[in-house]
Amino acid sequence: MLEIDRLHKTYGNVIALDGCSFRVERGQLLGFLGPNGSGKTTTMRSVFSLVRPDRGTVRWDGNSIDEATRLRFGYMPEQRGLYPRMKVAAQLTYFGRLHGMARDAAKAAAGDWLERLGLADRADSRLEQLSHGNQQRVQLAAALIHEPELLILDEPFSGLDPIGVEDMMAILLERTAHGAAVVFSSHQLDLVEDLCEDVVIIAAGRVVLNGAIRELRAHSSHRYLDIEMAGHRNDLARAFSEFEVVASGDGRLRLRLDDTTPLEPLIHRAGELGKVRQFAYTPPNLSEVFREVVER
Amino acid sequence: MNPRQSIMLVAARDFRERVTSRAFQLSTGITILFVVALIVVPAVFFDSEAPRWEVGFIGEPPTGFATAVATASGDAAVVAVSEYASRPDAETAMEQGEIDIAVIEDGQILIDNNTDDQLQSAVLAGLAGISIADRADQLGIEVSEISDLLTGGYEIESIAPETEGDNEDNRIFAFFVTVVLFMSIVTYGSWILIGVIEEKTNRVVEVVLGTLRPHQLLAGKVLGIGVLGVAQVIAIGIIALALLPIQDAFDVPSAAGSVLAWAFVWYVLGFAFYAVAYAAAGSLVSRQEEAQNAAFPLTMMLMTAYFIASFSITGENPVLRVASLLPMFAPMTMPLRIAGADAAAWEIIVSLTLMVVMTYGLIRLAGRVYAGGLLQGAGRVKWREAFRASDV
Repeated sequence: MLEIDRLHKTYGNVIALDGCSFRVERGQLLGFLGPNGSGKTTTMRSVFSLVRPDRGTVRWDGNSIDEATRLRFGYMPEQRGLYPRMKVAAQLTYFGRLHGMARDAAKAAAGDWLERLGLADRADSRLEQLSHGNQQRVQLAAALIHEPELLILDEPFSGLDPIGVEDMMAILLERTAHGAAVVFSSHQLDLVEDLCEDVVIIAAGRVVLNGAIRELRAHSSHRYLDIEMAGHRNDLARAFSEFEVVASGDGRLRLRLDDTTPLEPLIHRAGELGKVRQFAYTPPNLSEVFREVVER
Repeated sequence: MNPRQSIMLVAARDFRERVTSRAFQLSTGITILFVVALIVVPAVFFDSEAPRWEVGFIGEPPTGFATAVATASGDAAVVAVSEYASRPDAETAMEQGEIDIAVIEDGQILIDNNTDDQLQSAVLAGLAGISIADRADQLGIEVSEISDLLTGGYEIESIAPETEGDNEDNRIFAFFVTVVLFMSIVTYGSWILIGVIEEKTNRVVEVVLGTLRPHQLLAGKVLGIGVLGVAQVIAIGIIALALLPIQDAFDVPSAAGSVLAWAFVWYVLGFAFYAVAYAAAGSLVSRQEEAQNAAFPLTMMLMTAYFIASFSITGENPVLRVASLLPMFAPMTMPLRIAGADAAAWEIIVSLTLMVVMTYGLIRLAGRVYAGGLLQGAGRVKWREAFRASDV
């Protein structure tokens, strides 16, 4: 289990981390969310001692993390980077060995990964000769070659095409199923909602929300009401003007309500306006939860 | 994985990636060609021929005149004598540059602005020799006795272990070695500089530093590129030494072995010192365009050391003496003094000690600057900021 315990870090006058704490279990896939500049990257770097926090600790299985432990972790930084002129297979082997693998094991693992990524025929190409997407795949393989117990990925989905996104999701789920603890940051919240059950949301260096997505949505003090009426009418927003209208037009209306607002009068009013096609009362989705806590 | 393994892994990668690169193979080839050309071309095209002195004689020259002048010059020149009927003829010839000096039988010697001082002395000494030999002959004195008469029978014997001429050759040899080392340090220093910046701009350094400490990366890089540099220098040195005997402008001095051994010691120390400094400088910038700015102070130091060395080939001077004790200049100045037998033992010991202590200090300092500099984002980082940013 990875424990991030009350991390504090300031750069000059800028507070990057302000008591950030959360945990990730083995076999858990955690989405690590937060607006730009909220401290996600600083937190991730702290795990690899690339940043030394002013206060607080990072623990793995209850112990502080030493060099030997760190070799069993895998890291994919937000700003990707490998050696452009180094051959792909040699590069993966090198990263395997940096993580403590024996030469033969690293070579074999590099071959397996290239096979799996469909790049076996490019083993002796220089990295810079590969397409952008394929370079991203090699980057992921470099983080995974030693089968890490803890995998930390900073914005792994950014810059990927839809197929790349699917491949990445499959690999993250597979590593989790193999018992690795996996943490990834992302701004693509609908994707996060599809992929994982648990998220941590961080803002201004501290965790503002932490838990299962389903529960976080249910615990919100807001609800969303979607109404769809027959006909392309545009008068719905006016009819419900005392409520917070999120979107309207073309026979549709989305309202944001307190979870205490009684529904019956709304159902009644909709019925009076005309033929109701859809009437849906749902908790906020992840994006909406995110906005609620971050903008608060 | 222990720290030594990490360092070796990094060193092996940097060595392998460069030794297989086209740029390295090309630059090694060009350097070897250059060294070969430097030695072979002069040997083929420029015979080290003695100058030719044209001496005019008005009247009839005494027997053995040309030989006497040549002998008096210490055989530094080939002497040719032409006869003229009158003084105006000789003057015309001298104006036209056909002769350098003219001797008139009645006891005058004509010179002009172009006449070599050495030639004048040689002509005078030659004439004196002939005249002395003539008189001695008339007096019944054997030729072999003449030199005894002139010196009073005394001879000079040197008890100095080495003659200054040897030291001179050793200094020149040491200077050539210094030039090679200077070029090697500048070349490989800039490779380290570029290598560090490349890792930083590619952001690959973030992944690498997740697995090892910054000072291990620094040490591995310096070691890998350093071994490559030393190997290249040794290869070029062997080729140069093998070729030197084919030319006769410069004799390989007797002490070449010890000069080389000392040069090697200073090269390794100098390389370590500058390589570490170059790595630290590289960690402070994030774009290749800024590389030369970052390395400017180091390049200046190296150039200064080189100039001090090149102005001191002829011998000892106070600037050289001070420079040879300072770590940033010692690698290129101390070998010169040792070769010329000018350095006292204590000076060598002090210089070596300072060099080792400073290099160690620099490794510690640079390791910290390196760690701080590498993880800073874009732009140029100041030395002090980088130092503060890191507590590794």
